[in-house]
Amino acid sequence: MAINPASPTPSMFRKKPSSAMSTAASYLSAVSKADARARGLNGGSTTSTPALSLSSSVTSSSEDTVLHEDIGDSADGLYYPSVPPTSEQVFTTVHTEFGHCANESYRYTSRHTPGEPVKGVVEQDPPYYILITTYVSYLLVICIGHLRDFIGKRFKPSAFRHLMTQDGYAALNSDFDSFYTRRLKSRIDDCFSHPVTGVPGRTILLLDRYSTDHNVTFQPTGTRTRGLNISSYNYLGFAQGDGPCADAVEESVARYGVSACSTRREVGTLDLHLQAEALVARFMGMESALISSMGFATNSTIIPALVSKGCLVISDEFNHASIRYGVRLSGANVRMFKHNNMQALESLLREVISQGQPKTHRPWKKILIIVEGLYSMEGTLVNLPALLELKKKYKFYLFVDEAHSVGAMGPHGRGVADYFDVNPRSIDILMGTFTKSFGAAGGYIAGNKALIERLRISSHYSAYTEAMAPPVLTQVMASMASIMGVTIIPETKNSSSLSLLHSSNAIPVPVTNLEATAYPGTAPSTALPNWVSLPPSLCDGSDGRMR
Amino acid sequence: MSATTSSLEPLFTILSYSYATLETNFYKLPGSSVVARYVKSSHQNDPGRTLLEVFLIIFAIRTLLQSRTRADNSGKHFISFDEKEIDELVDEWTPEPLAAELSPKEQAELASIPVIVGPTGPKPKLSNGKTVLNLASYNFTGLAGNEDIKQSGVETLRKYGLGSCGPPGFYGNQDVHIQLEKDIADFLGTESAILYSQAFSTISSVIPAFCKRGDLIVADRGVNFSIQKGLQISRCTVRWYDHNDLNSLEQVLEAIEKERQKKRSPLTRRFIVTEGIFDHDGAMSDLPKLLKFKYRLILDESISFGSVGRTGRGLTELYNVPADQVDMLVGSVANGLASAGGFCAGTNIVVNHQRINGTSFVFSAAMPALLTVAASEGISILRNTPSILSTLQENIRAVRVILDRVDCISIPSHPASATIHLHVKLPSPMHLSPRVPPPSPSLSSSSSGKPSNPLSPTPREAPQFDAELEEKLLQDVVEEALAQGVLITRAKRLRGQELNDIRPSIRLAISAALNKKDCEKAANVVKAAFVKIVGRQRR
Repeated sequence: MAINPASPTPSMFRKKPSSAMSTAASYLSAVSKADARARGLNGGSTTSTPALSLSSSVTSSSEDTVLHEDIGDSADGLYYPSVPPTSEQVFTTVHTEFGHCANESYRYTSRHTPGEPVKGVVEQDPPYYILITTYVSYLLVICIGHLRDFIGKRFKPSAFRHLMTQDGYAALNSDFDSFYTRRLKSRIDDCFSHPVTGVPGRTILLLDRYSTDHNVTFQPTGTRTRGLNISSYNYLGFAQGDGPCADAVEESVARYGVSACSTRREVGTLDLHLQAEALVARFMGMESALISSMGFATNSTIIPALVSKGCLVISDEFNHASIRYGVRLSGANVRMFKHNNMQALESLLREVISQGQPKTHRPWKKILIIVEGLYSMEGTLVNLPALLELKKKYKFYLFVDEAHSVGAMGPHGRGVADYFDVNPRSIDILMGTFTKSFGAAGGYIAGNKALIERLRISSHYSAYTEAMAPPVLTQVMASMASIMGVTIIPETKNSSSLSLLHSSNAIPVPVTNLEATAYPGTAPSTALPNWVSLPPSLCDGSDGRMR
Repeated sequence: MSATTSSLEPLFTILSYSYATLETNFYKLPGSSVVARYVKSSHQNDPGRTLLEVFLIIFAIRTLLQSRTRADNSGKHFISFDEKEIDELVDEWTPEPLAAELSPKEQAELASIPVIVGPTGPKPKLSNGKTVLNLASYNFTGLAGNEDIKQSGVETLRKYGLGSCGPPGFYGNQDVHIQLEKDIADFLGTESAILYSQAFSTISSVIPAFCKRGDLIVADRGVNFSIQKGLQISRCTVRWYDHNDLNSLEQVLEAIEKERQKKRSPLTRRFIVTEGIFDHDGAMSDLPKLLKFKYRLILDESISFGSVGRTGRGLTELYNVPADQVDMLVGSVANGLASAGGFCAGTNIVVNHQRINGTSFVFSAAMPALLTVAASEGISILRNTPSILSTLQENIRAVRVILDRVDCISIPSHPASATIHLHVKLPSPMHLSPRVPPPSPSLSSSSSGKPSNPLSPTPREAPQFDAELEEKLLQDVVEEALAQGVLITRAKRLRGQELNDIRPSIRLAISAALNKKDCEKAANVVKAAFVKIVGRQRR
């Protein structure tokens, strides 16, 4: 949705002629201070640092942004400039990327109340007239599409060359297979793949475009539209061009460059990988973790190492395409169960265990149930407690894909296990991505040590795919540490991250005391590279908590 | 008699009355006369016909009402148990452990993976504190650690943040991605290009996007793992030809054509899938000859893009073939431009088709902007400094000159290939299994009279080797070289998961970032290590 640049929200930016604010930047600085103060007052916590990460240019101009506390009109914690900033000014500053919610009453902790039944799918059957009109419209569009194909092939064959046999080559795409794409999707193509620029933060800058040939090609108009962003997977607002995470990434680019240039099993293992993996394991509360350079490939290249022929994968019917892809590659048998329906799952389990493998009736080697924590397309939450009950009885292995839930669910942001307050180690494999809550890219697998070591040796990922790039690793570590909070562990002879690496290339988990292994615990300062310095608001985890 | 009829009389009246009402009501229904006419005409005074129709209708209704999943349970292999039996079976069943324990050999391998502390590059520092010469990382053009790239990376970071936070279809398609796609297309000379966020997942998505069940793929027996997975997932018919052997390819294609004419089957989509420079052994395809068949060519240039040609455009530049003649040109941004991701270049139609059908493009987040811009910057560096590629070729020659004439090494790689694979060459009497010369294209086809079976991925005369022993020797060589300050690596593969057993090798990746002297020094170290380790084996 595009925000009309001429009308800033009137309730927030009421005109107040008495105080003089010269620039939009100073205005925003004031807003951020007020924001921080409001949070301080309401939450009772003593956050002294500004919540917004202001760029140096803004903070340097803080001379003229002294807030006059005695002016009053501070009911909502905001002061008003004499001239309301234009939309362009508002949106060209850091405030467009991230801002804290100043109203404490909007905050709540995502936590499952024990005993309360997990809400199932809300079946929303559309009324019949909608169904019928939809089908009729589809029919109409399909008929028109076929008509256009029929006429077009005869009168304008050049546009259909890829659909027809020519010059000894068969058609590149069958016109039937591509019919949907060509005739139905192309009508609404202007909604997809819209080019954007800048940080996909609180707002997003769209590059305007238009089409003169019915969405076959698009021409940029050269103008841009700033829109409120409710489309990007930037749950915690860590996608930022400024702030401590970006600073850490900048430092890592200077130190490490942009690539690891090899696969993990060959020579692509950097010290950063080991540190990040140890941190991820700690974050998830698992023994060990493995980081993969692409979210999709985490599933598609690692599931084949978990199951093989003679194994059974039971998959929720709404699982993500990457899971299906990985399962297909693995050669294991697949059965599906109705979305989130634990009764259906149980009866299926009873059937498959009693029947064994098809035809031979030999017992399954292993049964792996793959579910998502938070389903990407439905937004439903897995019924984890019920699943764990079933797991006790039926002895299957559980794989939870937390692509969307990690970082965003649970009182400590550790995903669905945290949300339901179950021990994460009761789940065999926790998988997730860094694209969403952490504002980075790639994915991880966390599990016990034996499992992860097996995956390091026999997954497609570790042998053939490029290792994760150092800047991405740094973003993961910085954002993850600021969710966890950092405990400063006094530097002893063995605990500095570098010397640990020297001693062995085992994963450097500094198990110094009980507190360090507690879940959900904080990140020990030694788990981060020593050149990463996070400001105090991130270190004490207050920023992470407030996100 | 009459008494019974009289007692039944009211019943008959009721029956006839209700029949009459039913009939009138039935004819009141719209369209009922059509049904009636149909029934009448089909009845034709023959109750048998009506009965048949009634049975047909009942059967149709039964089929419709049947649940679709019933087939699983009612199949002839289904055994029905009662609940108690099922409970017992559930209690009895013990699954295998999720992950098999690592064998001591695998543990040793895991422990032997080197860890680089700090940036990777021509001379990285390892976790043991040693600085080594790097002949293992894919940094052909020496772009890793380039200051200009770092600079533009940081600028991008400040403008775009790090993550793209969405798949390309949903606001993850940033202008930098469009720019890199355009840069790649311009660089290669194709209409268009599409960017994937991981090199390995590129071709394994490109192949299933175009090839469906029933389509025909003719593939080289030595293709890399990613292609193998793409072929597997596409479920199309695959025919295999001997590794890098164009005669074998021609024979296979002729056989296919004959078969098609015999069956008079319609023309299906047909593809040749091969690599530019093979990941497995560094051999190079003869591109101009591959193009003369009426098959669409899917060419994987993951190794050759950014390492051969005057400015690193790959095989098309080397053979001076216009890149638009290759239908789908797949390359690796991660290897060629020292960034991350992969691309597929081709016509607009080929590329746009993938934007909705390329699985790992559609379902994965777009690449981070920083890495995208780093790749764009890499392309402009390659364009402007052709000396990089000539340095690279000089370095390759310098290494080859030293290693070519060592009698315990055999090299299957092409002389221009920036990846050099080193096989152990053991004298035959020493060895248990008979030694066959390494699979060089001309030899393998001429030595065997009969061609290999195109239906099977394994060649008729598979090269014989003792993989365990060779792996061990090569690992010793790697460790010996590392002790002398040269970082090399075995080419790591998933033995048993690859289609064919691949001969173990050490893979050197030459970089333009090293100077000639360093290359010679490193090659001499490798040579000495080979002579020492393999020589010891000989005695």
